[in-house]
Amino acid sequence: MKLSVPRDSLSGALQLVGRAVSSRGTLPSLGGILLAAGEGRLTLRATDMELGITRALDDVKLERDGTVLLPGRLFADVVRSLPPGQVALELRAEQRDVEIAAGGARFHLRTLPAEDFPRLPELDGETAKLPGEPLSATIELVARAASRDEVRPILTGVLVQAEGETLTMVATDSYRLSVKHTKLESPVAQPLEANVPARALRELARIVAAEGANEVEIALPRNQIVFGAAGVVVSSRLIEGQFPSWRQLVPESFEHEVRLPREEFLEIARRISQLAQRNAPLRLAFAEGELTVAAETPDIGDASEGMPAPYSGEPLEIAFNPQFLVEGIESVGSEELAVQLSSPLRPGLLRPVDGEDFSYLVMPIRLNA
Amino acid sequence: MFVPGEASILHADVDAFFASVEQRDDPRLRGRPVIVGSGVVMTASYEARAFGVRGAMGGAQARRLCPHAVVVEPRFSAYVAASRAVFEVFERAAPVVEALSMEEAFLDVSGLGRISGSPTEIAVRLRRDVREWVGLSITIGVARTKALAKVASGVAKPDGLLVVPPERERDFLHPLAVERLWGVGPATARKLHERGITTVGELARLTETALVSIIGRAAGRHVHALAHNRDPRRVRSGRRRRSVGSQCALGRSSRSPAALDGVVVGLVDRVTRRMRAGGRIGRTVVLRLRFGDFSRATRSRTISQATAATGTILVTARALLAAAMPTIERRGVTLLGITVTNLEAGAGVQLELPLEHPDRIALDAALDEVRARFGSAALTRAALLHRGSRLSASLLPGDRDRRRPMSSGGAAGR
Repeated sequence: MKLSVPRDSLSGALQLVGRAVSSRGTLPSLGGILLAAGEGRLTLRATDMELGITRALDDVKLERDGTVLLPGRLFADVVRSLPPGQVALELRAEQRDVEIAAGGARFHLRTLPAEDFPRLPELDGETAKLPGEPLSATIELVARAASRDEVRPILTGVLVQAEGETLTMVATDSYRLSVKHTKLESPVAQPLEANVPARALRELARIVAAEGANEVEIALPRNQIVFGAAGVVVSSRLIEGQFPSWRQLVPESFEHEVRLPREEFLEIARRISQLAQRNAPLRLAFAEGELTVAAETPDIGDASEGMPAPYSGEPLEIAFNPQFLVEGIESVGSEELAVQLSSPLRPGLLRPVDGEDFSYLVMPIRLNA
Repeated sequence: MFVPGEASILHADVDAFFASVEQRDDPRLRGRPVIVGSGVVMTASYEARAFGVRGAMGGAQARRLCPHAVVVEPRFSAYVAASRAVFEVFERAAPVVEALSMEEAFLDVSGLGRISGSPTEIAVRLRRDVREWVGLSITIGVARTKALAKVASGVAKPDGLLVVPPERERDFLHPLAVERLWGVGPATARKLHERGITTVGELARLTETALVSIIGRAAGRHVHALAHNRDPRRVRSGRRRRSVGSQCALGRSSRSPAALDGVVVGLVDRVTRRMRAGGRIGRTVVLRLRFGDFSRATRSRTISQATAATGTILVTARALLAAAMPTIERRGVTLLGITVTNLEAGAGVQLELPLEHPDRIALDAALDEVRARFGSAALTRAALLHRGSRLSASLLPGDRDRRRPMSSGGAAGR
């Protein structure tokens, strides 16, 4: 392998695929980035066996094709530190290293055994196409409700369903449930359903936003999902098992619906949350025409703030985890949001008042006697 | 150092607790030697003790010593209920009650002179009340310090009351055998006997340095202080527990994975119920294992949100068991335990969406209610049927289930 490539282009690609480099040192080859030169392009690949990212560069002058595996983090750091301009890479087979040359700087990095590097699934066969912006916006809204506990792997994923003109994403960590339906401009050819690790989707959303991808192609080879966006391929294993049947979890009706100005409610919730430390809940007390948000941390202090609210009926007090509530309010994009409640022990629902089809169901905290 | 001027610390202990409950509930057992536990003796009635039967003795040896003893299987739910009733009486009698076990507690009754009478009067009334309300006999020792109160009740057993006034402490303590001191076990006693020391008086004549050279630093200091009746420890109630756990001995026969899973299910049920009853939530689930060779190991996992929900704790416990299965298959397992640590008082419990089962939350609450009313054996999982109540209780009365009416509005708020 022998080639030259602009430093900025190579460095950007290394940062991008570097996010899939394994941080655990179990398999040395997974700490590497695979460089494959051929067909006029340089392709960079990294994977930690769960997530894989592939990026192809076209602005390359190829002299000799070939494939090498280099230690990912070190290679990326070295390239970033080089002077601007062209970077020359050459495999020196005898020394088993790659020479990196830029300006007057020379580096020799030993290669890793490339044959241990796993094959990543390709974006081929039948693909579905989704518009980039709505997809990444939906991921940002929904993925934060996914669980970060590996104890229940099924909940670390986001359920992605596309059928006809509707894209639906659902995530839950068992304390809250986020559901977003997005209308597509043109119907998908094939219905699609997969439980995708939230981490892979977050990477995809980041790439779509950074590269300004208009369209995302999706393929579902066995147990895997492959996304293609603006020359980047993101692949991930799918999460096995049955995603909870979430439709039954969302109550059909609620006793109360209160419409609140989102920005004001969010500010108050954030402000008062400061005194809901050490698992202390945020309390919402609804009374005729008024909502009071309050928090108390034993031995630290307390806080409360009221706001007018079009509530009527028996006073109702319900408590939530402050982080869950604040994230819910943040997720609702509209100017006005609706809070739907039934009782202090039943879930509450946050949703936008305008047409957007998003719901955030959150379980309360039961206060001790 | 805090030592009250008058003898106002009570050590109250139910006599032969499990056996007494059996004799109380079955008139045919009264006056007869009763052994609770067919394997290892858990408790022997005083009638059986007269023949030399002791707790923790092997069943075969016990039957040899006392062939006509009645051997009964333990009924833990009955003991838990009895313990609860005894502690209700204790808590009515004294503002500060420190539980030592299910059947034993210290009570601090200092300063109650005007309200309830002298410590002796309170002790007399307490013995009468426990007999009247619960149907069990207790022995009480009264002294200025916890250690001496415990020694006094040990001397007065069974069904007795012994008050040690401050000016009689030396006369009481010095003639006693060293084994009577709280903290002098068989090993320490043997070392002392080897030096010809058999009474507390002989012990008290030694310097601390001399004693340390015989039985080691920690034990030496401790025993020296006790021999001079120096024990500054206060009676402390309501020390919040940091963990809730339950365990189950399995014997040596090998168990199928399904059977082990059943045991874990039962343990989690029990632990989470107690957590909910105490309004506690926890983040770390610990699986305790004792292998075929009786070596021990623990495996733990911490989850992101503290919870007391049976479902979440069970999923975590099962993951730990699955990870330990290869070791269990290789080495065998003789004990499983589940403990939840990292407990938080929490102003409340984060409820969960019933993902796996419709209305799991309501289910937990309903099960707790049935068991609080009808005893823990009233409801069990189908997987545990015919298994008997073999889960041993590591239950302190301080966290016994507090009944809380589910429907009452009074349950909300602090």
